[in-house]
Amino acid sequence: MATKAKPIAQVALGLEPGPFHERLVAHNRQQSWVNWMGYASPSVLDNVEFEYFAIRNQSTLFDISPMCKYAITGPDAETVVNRLVTRDIRKLKPGRVAYCIWCDEDGNVVDDGTVFRLSETEFRLCCQEPQLSWLEDIAWGFDVSISDVTRDIAGLALQGPTSCALLKDLGLAGIETLKTFGIAGFEIAGSVVTISRTGFTGDLGYELWIRPADALKVWDALMGAGKLRGLRVIGYEALEMARIEAGFLLPKVDFLSAQTVLRADRANTPYELGLEWLVALDKPHFNGRRALVDLSKQTPRRKLVAIEIERDKPAHNALVYHRKNREVGMVTSALWSPTCKRNIAYAWLDAPYGQSVTDDLWVEIYLQKEIRWQRRMVRCKLVDKPFFAHPRRTATPPADH
Amino acid sequence: MSARYDAIVIGAGHNGLVAAAVLARKGKKVLVLEARDHLGGMLGDPDFRVAPQPYALRPEIARVLQLDQKRLHGAKPVETLAISSEGAPLSIIGGQVSGTDAITEHDYATFHARLGRQAQALGVMMLQSPPGLGKASFGEMAGLARMALKMRLLGKTEMRDLLRIILSNAWDLLNDEIGDGPLAGVLAMDATLGGAMGPRSPGTVLSLLYRMASQSSHGHGLRVMPEGGPDALVKALSHCVTSADGEIRTGAPVARILVDQDKAAGVRLHSGEEIAAPLVLSNASPKFTLMTLLGVEHLDGEFVRRCRNMASKGMVSRLDFDIGEMPPLHHGGKIEHGQRLVFAPTMEVIETAFNAAKYGEMPERPVFEATYDAAAKRLCVTAQFTPHDLKGGWTDDSKSKLARSVMAALEDALPGLSSGITGSRVMSPVDIETGYGASGGHWHHGELRVDQLLMLRPFDGAAQYRMPVKGVYLCGAGAHPGGDISGAPGFNAARTALRDGGH
Repeated sequence: MATKAKPIAQVALGLEPGPFHERLVAHNRQQSWVNWMGYASPSVLDNVEFEYFAIRNQSTLFDISPMCKYAITGPDAETVVNRLVTRDIRKLKPGRVAYCIWCDEDGNVVDDGTVFRLSETEFRLCCQEPQLSWLEDIAWGFDVSISDVTRDIAGLALQGPTSCALLKDLGLAGIETLKTFGIAGFEIAGSVVTISRTGFTGDLGYELWIRPADALKVWDALMGAGKLRGLRVIGYEALEMARIEAGFLLPKVDFLSAQTVLRADRANTPYELGLEWLVALDKPHFNGRRALVDLSKQTPRRKLVAIEIERDKPAHNALVYHRKNREVGMVTSALWSPTCKRNIAYAWLDAPYGQSVTDDLWVEIYLQKEIRWQRRMVRCKLVDKPFFAHPRRTATPPADH
Repeated sequence: MSARYDAIVIGAGHNGLVAAAVLARKGKKVLVLEARDHLGGMLGDPDFRVAPQPYALRPEIARVLQLDQKRLHGAKPVETLAISSEGAPLSIIGGQVSGTDAITEHDYATFHARLGRQAQALGVMMLQSPPGLGKASFGEMAGLARMALKMRLLGKTEMRDLLRIILSNAWDLLNDEIGDGPLAGVLAMDATLGGAMGPRSPGTVLSLLYRMASQSSHGHGLRVMPEGGPDALVKALSHCVTSADGEIRTGAPVARILVDQDKAAGVRLHSGEEIAAPLVLSNASPKFTLMTLLGVEHLDGEFVRRCRNMASKGMVSRLDFDIGEMPPLHHGGKIEHGQRLVFAPTMEVIETAFNAAKYGEMPERPVFEATYDAAAKRLCVTAQFTPHDLKGGWTDDSKSKLARSVMAALEDALPGLSSGITGSRVMSPVDIETGYGASGGHWHHGELRVDQLLMLRPFDGAAQYRMPVKGVYLCGAGAHPGGDISGAPGFNAARTALRDGGH
């Protein structure tokens, strides 16, 4: 008699479980996962609205362990990081973080990320795309060591108005004195945790950097203390809403890395991205400097702008027109902002639109109403980033909420 | 530090001297800095020359610099003897062979003439700055157009033939046309000399045509020894510099190219002395110039990567044997002063020697060319496929092993030679690297390969003599059109610098 075949455990996603996976699985009612650098990352755990409002009204936990992290250390570390990024990193003091971009030799942006200066000679770079071979090219000939520490460090983003109070509840003495973009060391549940006051939400918040072995211990301590602070675990979709409001750009959505484009003209310069404030042309040579000097004297071919659109329907994938008839650009990220109560988006506009011509711009939005599609031309106007800015993001000490 | 000079040329190799002469004759105050105590770089050391063979200085350059052309180019073309163990050596001058049957002589002459015409069409670009990739100027494109026109003017059949063979290998072409043997051996030697390619390597037809594109008053591909030898050429060039008020300093090795505000500011010598100039031309190899003299901190990461990855693995060793009188050839006949002797009896032998060198090993039987200098009583050997990255390193042992294997091959053709030797010296690719600022010990400062020629020489993004730091130029063999004693890179670089102006 043939024996009945045993059911085989399914490899559900082919994705790697991160350091917090056990807890994420338990919280993830939707079991909806996305692939983030090979890790299983939740897109929504429960309900995107609840998760989003927790960012703006309570506090939230998001697993950022999959983010690429590189340690750059050695006598020439400052020189190498300064050679990599467009900002003048010599001005970054130990214990501080800076948002940076880096460019290729043509002055096109390779990626953006945050540079942590842990000491005079130790830096950590956090970014979206793998950069090891790029970093090795930049560092060639210098006395520096570069290692990929992505898997050596677990990361948690604790974001929201009650996040500081929550950490104080855990007994983190002095956390309220940590300034925006500052780094400090603390202890949670007996584990060493490095905390930076950084985040992707534009709100009060922290990022916690933990040894993977301590990950679950710290998670449990946070969740325990978070009960009275409205702490909620969130997924990618809620964060995406907050990041658009906060005015942050997302690679692969708003722009492409110069290293991944197939069509050479799809790469973007800092001037096109509106990131010229990050480019310090007056510092010593850095990658792409000569091209950027030339580019700084030219009118960008196109520009990524923040727009506000009339009425309430988000302008996903919409085209932008001038005088309703001339196609001049397209929307990359769009959102009806629940907090700002504004219909917001980022759009690429070809020169001279968005630069010298800023009036009479229209967005073409398609709406489906009971099977039938409708086309709606709505007026839009250029606005400044960020869409959402709250004093609590930078207030030190933050108020108790 | 005030600028006493308009331009500094690093290295008094022939290209550096040509560049300095072009600049000085245009009224620039030029200083040439040479690390060694003699001028002329690889052809200048009278005690042990890297390049003892006749040269192909472009006649156009001699004309512009008003050199004594009769002295430089007046000599008869050198006779090449293809030595083989099978029988008497074949004598070759250009397309003329003697010592073989009439049919072979005719075939060779026809074939050689055809290659010569095709090489000439390619040679149009030799004294042109190569066009830039993406943004070429009108003048640069006109140069390319002239080359295309020249190729078209070869006629439909020869143009098609050129396009068919240009990227193929010498092995196939020569087997098709003349068959393997001493004649093919000489041409395959020409195709691979100095490079890390065997006759079967793709692109060796191009390197053969490239060599044949060099000009002398006797026609394409021929080299002549100036009256008075290499020293006369060096003297003529250095005189050209000094008579136009240029200065030349020997024993003055440069440690760094100085940069200020992203522009060349001068150089610092090993002695610590700093000399200011807004224009610095380097005759050293691209890798040495950019990585060591200029420094990677002034360059973008991608540029540095391409520079690092540039193919420049040296394969040539030089051996000198002191001998009072040359013994007669095994098959009869006497060796005369200045003849070029090629010890590469077949392409098979060359390829076999290359096989070992590919993997960092010394070939059992190196292939080489030799010339007897009757005045210095010296047999000068240029041995191929002795790799720069030799396994176990270039020790005295490996050098004497090489000398022994060369001597064994010489002894076969010239019985009794070894008993007359009174002294010998060996210069490895490593010695060439350290002695002459040529990375990898490469003769041509970089492989003459299809992906490292024209707008890709020395590498993409560095092809038009001017380097990313304003006022820094490459004027050596690493730049277009490449190696050989042609003077063309120095000439083109200086003219580019003059055109750019503003230094």
